[in-house]
Amino acid sequence: MNFKTFISLLFAALWLNSCTEPFEPDTDINQPLVVEGYVEAGPGSIAAYVIITRALPFITEIGPDQLGDLFVNGADVKVSDGDKTVQLTELCLDDLPEEAKILVAEALNLDVDSLALNICAYVDVLDELIREEGRTYNLRIETAEEILTATTTIPRYVPLYDFRFDDPPGEPSEKWARLYTTIDDPADEVNFYRYKSAVEDEPLVTPFNSVVNDVFYNGQSFEFPLSKAEDLQEEVPFEEFGLFARGDSITIKWMAIDEDHFDFWNTRDFSANSAGPFSSYTRINGNIEGALGIWGGYSVDNYRLFVPFE
Amino acid sequence: MRIRFLFFLFCLITYQIGSAQYTISGYVTDTNSGETLIGANVVLSSDESIGVSTNTYGFYSISLEAGKHILKCSYLGYEDQIINVDVSDNRELNFSMSEGIAIEEVVISAEKEEADKNVESTEMGTIEVPMAQIKKLPAIFGEVDLLKAIQLLPGVLSSGEGSAGFYVRGGGPDQNLVLLDEAVVYNSGHLLGFFSVFNADAIKNTSLIKGNMPAKYGGRLSSVLDIQMKDGNDQSYKAQGGIGLVASRLTVEGPIIKDKSSFIISGRRTYIGDLAQPALNDSDFKGSNYYFYDLNAKINYRLSQKDRLFFSTYFGRDVFRFSQIKRDFRFNLPYGNATATARWNHLFSDKLFFNLSAIYNDYQFQFDGGQDQFQFELFSGVKDYTLKADFEYFYNNDHTIKFGINYTNHELTPNTATATNGDVDFATEYLPKYANEWGLYAQDDIKITSKLSANVGLRLSLFSQLGPYESKLGNGSFEDWETVKNYFGFEPRASMKYTIDPSLSFKAGIAQTYQYIHLVSNSSSTLPTDIWVPSSEIVKPQRGLQYALGLFKNWKDNTYETNIEVYYKDLRNQIDYSEDFVEDLSQEVEDAFVFGKGRAYGAEFFLKKAKGKLNGWIGYTLSKSERSFDDIEGGRWYSTVYDKTHDLSIVANYKIGRKWDLGAVAIYGTGRNYTPVGGFFLIEQNINLWYGPRNSARLDPYHRIDLSATFTPKPDSKKKWKSSWTLSVYNAYNRKNPFFILYDADVNLETGNVEISGDKITLFPIIPSITYNFTWN
Repeated sequence: MNFKTFISLLFAALWLNSCTEPFEPDTDINQPLVVEGYVEAGPGSIAAYVIITRALPFITEIGPDQLGDLFVNGADVKVSDGDKTVQLTELCLDDLPEEAKILVAEALNLDVDSLALNICAYVDVLDELIREEGRTYNLRIETAEEILTATTTIPRYVPLYDFRFDDPPGEPSEKWARLYTTIDDPADEVNFYRYKSAVEDEPLVTPFNSVVNDVFYNGQSFEFPLSKAEDLQEEVPFEEFGLFARGDSITIKWMAIDEDHFDFWNTRDFSANSAGPFSSYTRINGNIEGALGIWGGYSVDNYRLFVPFE
Repeated sequence: MRIRFLFFLFCLITYQIGSAQYTISGYVTDTNSGETLIGANVVLSSDESIGVSTNTYGFYSISLEAGKHILKCSYLGYEDQIINVDVSDNRELNFSMSEGIAIEEVVISAEKEEADKNVESTEMGTIEVPMAQIKKLPAIFGEVDLLKAIQLLPGVLSSGEGSAGFYVRGGGPDQNLVLLDEAVVYNSGHLLGFFSVFNADAIKNTSLIKGNMPAKYGGRLSSVLDIQMKDGNDQSYKAQGGIGLVASRLTVEGPIIKDKSSFIISGRRTYIGDLAQPALNDSDFKGSNYYFYDLNAKINYRLSQKDRLFFSTYFGRDVFRFSQIKRDFRFNLPYGNATATARWNHLFSDKLFFNLSAIYNDYQFQFDGGQDQFQFELFSGVKDYTLKADFEYFYNNDHTIKFGINYTNHELTPNTATATNGDVDFATEYLPKYANEWGLYAQDDIKITSKLSANVGLRLSLFSQLGPYESKLGNGSFEDWETVKNYFGFEPRASMKYTIDPSLSFKAGIAQTYQYIHLVSNSSSTLPTDIWVPSSEIVKPQRGLQYALGLFKNWKDNTYETNIEVYYKDLRNQIDYSEDFVEDLSQEVEDAFVFGKGRAYGAEFFLKKAKGKLNGWIGYTLSKSERSFDDIEGGRWYSTVYDKTHDLSIVANYKIGRKWDLGAVAIYGTGRNYTPVGGFFLIEQNINLWYGPRNSARLDPYHRIDLSATFTPKPDSKKKWKSSWTLSVYNAYNRKNPFFILYDADVNLETGNVEISGDKITLFPIIPSITYNFTWN
């Protein structure tokens, strides 16, 4: 949530004696293609994959069949790592044996319970791409009607260290703890970071502001609190927001990204969080030529931690 | 071309050098309060076409041939004063005016000369807004609001439901020059713009210039809202105030030295948050509060008949404190304006009036907060120091020449942020931006023939961006006060009036204006967080060229005033944010700008009934406002958020006996433009919005009716304490006007179901309110 949205909503909360009624927009716009693809390097990283869908029109309810129809099949998807070009293979969950399905779902960070939906992805099944820091990856997608291209780079990884849990600010709590960690931000380059967190075996959750750059702290070493990413579809009490429950095992996925990749998530997070009475709109700034979405490189590490009891 | 223009100006000025005449000059004041009256008419009784009006300080100067004359002074709501004068030399003559005997006449009667101004004046798009009339209009939460009242005039639009922000003739919110005793008010709204910062009890006079602004004004493209504070009663002590549901106000004024010096001090404060304190004190949010307040003060001192000093000041703040004890989270958010104006009026002669003003204004926005060891501070603001010298030369009854020079030093602080986390400090490295702005002007109000008159003027402006500054275009570093970039503005202004018959005139005008300070908002309304940005090596000045034509007609002995005005505006170097703008501190605001052009055109229709128990007006505007930016959808022309095809306001006041005043306001307008959601797309299993073309859809039409009734129990009471009650109902038929669309999506990949909804959110339902008003005199 950006600063203006925050104060706007606080002000609005004082005033909004509001009422609502359903709204149906009067628009007739073609649905563009949407690309979501990632290439990762680092411990626990997974093979490159790309999901191609069509955007949804403004329909109030969509069932599993309609949602499944959004996946674009039969595209020709190639990724070049500078040394070689790899053809990605289309895999649809319904075509896989049950065990493979679960493996793929976990790799794609999908809830295994969601397998009712026939998700299709284009995957580097043999993991042929050289996935390493400093390398640039060109994506080329050819569908029946369109050719889409994108480029991304996997930047140098900047690790976190000295993880510790402490009482949350304010009143002590037996139930909740706050996570602190330390980073040494490199001074010789502009760095962009992203993170997610997960509790126990649940899928990783993206926080509402998932990216940050180092404009404020370039070259500094410092400790900072790292909030738990909350599922925004669930209501979380203010005093528990961003805190980890004592006794839980958690995962922090910390990622370094390049500037275009940062721009995508930065505009995406701002667009999602600034809806309200005083906001205009922000277009999500993707890096796919000819479509919405992101082709993003990550250098990653996953930190598995236990939240100690007091 | 320019030399020809100046030659033409010179010829006009020297057109009539007639036989020797004498000058009668002086001030027009209110008998009871000693307040000078702005815009009072002083005319020859035998030939009312010979006459002048008082200036901003109540001064007039009229040239008469030797001999006996009868001079008549008139002012809206006051009894005429007629004085026989035997003119044999230059002399001073002051008028002391008494309010009309019948109180109900104050608002509804208009003397002939006053009403004729509509037809007779060369000015176009200029409206005087009487505070007495504003105070009788229905008001949301009972808070009388000057800025909401002017939104009822044709060509002026509200920036949103219940908002005090306004747009004029298709111009942006930053293109209005809002002046309080000559000091620029950069943010004229409290509580996100729901209330204006102007306390009606402290205001004497307001005029709105919607276009074709005279050369004495500069720095904005669309309009001038010139607000004068009361000077203070120099005859007797007086107090007035009101107690409302959300705020109370108190004004005290009186003589310091009778007939020589007076003061006025006025305050207003809200107490919504205070009323909630008992509940908050028992909660986790103890210590949280919100309120705003305004303080106005002014003193004046008459040094001699030729010299007078004024000092006025305004200070207002919104204060928002939030505290959450359980997690030690807290912040303070104070913001507001401060202004100070010192003025010296001097009469060099009975024809040459001089005013010297030294002005300071300061708008500050601050946010400081933190949690545990983390502390954060954010600051932005605008600070100006201005020096102005203005001359008015009443050459003769056919030429009133105004000229002057002004200088402003600007200091604009962008979002500067500092933070500490334990022993580690973080800070933005953005420096304040500095600039000098100069204006040099001359204008002449000329009667060319008995039917044809004109107002011609020229303003020359110079804006210099100053160091310290590090060029972003590779031009190096600049030291303190070193010039980074100069911009020069050539701003001719001209308007003319042709009198077809005494009640019918035709007017035309053209004005070129430059604007050097800009505010861009990516919100549907202006917010205290919005940043003012100066012209720089990156940001060019905005330029506006406005053409206007008008037909003005009064009917039935001035009972009805009508006018039709059409206008076209060509706007260059318009500024907006790029479509992927993200508001954060990692970039300077100007680096996110895109630049383009604009156009606005429309027709305004105004019918005013100025006399009788039932009075009021109907204003209707048919207009279009568009912008084009190369970096937004390839330069496609799109409608602005302040593009409203139809805008209709009906304002009525009705007097029942001596105790009751009824008021009603009806509004209808085309729904506001917005950028529709074309659909949604899935990324990381989350729903993301995908937008259609900018401002390509409209909300439902906006309409509502407000009602008010003011009851004065003892209108003829001779007691010092007098009171009245005002009952207001906002949005009387509870119209659900959509304020914005809120989208929500529920994704359940377990079932493969997605639910998407859009809701029209309505802000204000029917709101009744009651206010108790009092005066002590």
